Amino acid sequence: MSEPHEPIIRFDHASFGFPGVLALQDISLSINAGEFVGVIGPNGSGKTTLCKAVLGLMAPVQGHLHIFDCACDELRCHHRAKIGYLPQKGVVDRNFPVTVLETVMMGRYGALGLFKRASGRDREIAREALAHVGMEAHRSTALGHLSGGQQQRVFIARALAQQPKVLLLDEPTTGLDITTQHNVIELVEHLHEELGLTVLLITHDINMIRSRVDRLVLLKTRLFAAGPPEDVLKPEILREVYGKDLVITEKDLVIVEDYHHHH
Amino acid sequence: MELIELFSYDFMQRSLLAAALVGGLCSVIGVFVVLRGLAFVGAGTAHAAFAGVTLGYLMGWPPLLLAILFGLATVWITGWVEERGNMKLDVSIGILYTTTMALAILFIGLMKTYNAEVYGYLFGNVLSVTTEELRMIGGLSILVLGTIMLFSKELYFIAFDQEMAEASGVPARRIFFLLLTLVALTVVVSLKTVGAILVFAMVLIPASTAYQLTHSLSTLTWYSIIIGVICSSGGVLLSAVWDIPSGPAIVLLSTLIFFLSVLLSPKRLRQALPAN
Repeated sequence: MSEPHEPIIRFDHASFGFPGVLALQDISLSINAGEFVGVIGPNGSGKTTLCKAVLGLMAPVQGHLHIFDCACDELRCHHRAKIGYLPQKGVVDRNFPVTVLETVMMGRYGALGLFKRASGRDREIAREALAHVGMEAHRSTALGHLSGGQQQRVFIARALAQQPKVLLLDEPTTGLDITTQHNVIELVEHLHEELGLTVLLITHDINMIRSRVDRLVLLKTRLFAAGPPEDVLKPEILREVYGKDLVITEKDLVIVEDYHHHH
Repeated sequence: MELIELFSYDFMQRSLLAAALVGGLCSVIGVFVVLRGLAFVGAGTAHAAFAGVTLGYLMGWPPLLLAILFGLATVWITGWVEERGNMKLDVSIGILYTTTMALAILFIGLMKTYNAEVYGYLFGNVLSVTTEELRMIGGLSILVLGTIMLFSKELYFIAFDQEMAEASGVPARRIFFLLLTLVALTVVVSLKTVGAILVFAMVLIPASTAYQLTHSLSTLTWYSIIIGVICSSGGVLLSAVWDIPSGPAIVLLSTLIFFLSVLLSPKRLRQALPAN
């Protein structure tokens, strides 16, 4: 187990992309064990690239990235299994023949490794993961029959079934109604506290997470700010990153008009 | 011919066994092909394998070996193109599909004499399967089915979501190429039975039929095998009783069952209700 406050993800002057077309440039950032970090930034700011980098799917073109004391391009499969990942919500084919429990069991597959069959213990872990997200009663339901919010819970359970140290969530609330968005974020907060997970949450919705995270990371190709929300969410910093898309209301609520997410 | 009398013939026993093996094998691999969206890849592979057969007969080399080589080359090129993502999959397959078919027609043209065996691979004739071919079908079936069983959890995962599989620690790209290799081997095993033109129906139809009937991956696989074995052996019996070609008998029987499953699908009946 990693001790609290020990860095488990460390970017050291790392750049990602192709030389000349860098998606992320000169990032230096440490994420400590047990932290809840929100990653914000406008569209095309490199949020998803950061996500791929942490998953070990993209090595830095310059600088270094260490995850669990392992250089990122050496990240092996069993290390990947320690990062539970919730991808940006795609459309699940309503008819895809997979049950909720079968979906969550897939979270065990990477951790198990090749040639090993899932055992009763693995099914138990999958059921516990479903219990954590409050979906145990639906385990035999077809995934396609669930609502969007319920599907997100199932995918979070799949990530938990990996028994991860880090939970990496890429825009977990996109495409959900407001109430469901709050429920999903509350669930993530609850998992962070109850299971002591390090959480890295990527979102365009600053208001949703500002009161819940330990630190915010503001990206726009470069790292503009990182620190407690009150230090990062300053009008002068935000205006520099978001420009005219930024609206600040009387209640000091920061609203970033993100047109790409409101079709 | 009486049905009972049919079973007493050696050739009939061989054909039924070959059809059941091929039917079972195709319907298992079909589950992953349908879920991963590789239908067109399989159809292209069948034609590439046929080009290998024609080259074999032209040069006097072992036709099935060349069929395997052509099939593997096609799926690997396809997989590589998809991975690089710089060309749409249907475009690359379309080009390979027609190129290999052109090669097959060229090789047949160069043969000068009519060769009935070559056409056997194009249209398939399970009733003429020899004991030696049956052994080959049996051996390759064990190899392919054994590999699928060994890697089933990874194969299901990449069929559902390959990127997610990769991110959670499954060697997804290698498993994808393994799946493509298994598709090529399955196609070659089945060439003699249903022929290059129809083989892919045996891969697609049982899994697609099962898809209509269940919401569970494991149930889907079992339904697909049962449907595949019943359709292929049923087709052989129909072809013997009515004296019609075996390939079309198998495929048309499968198609009939597919349409019935669409009509009676619990999923489609449910879709008429509002979503919850």
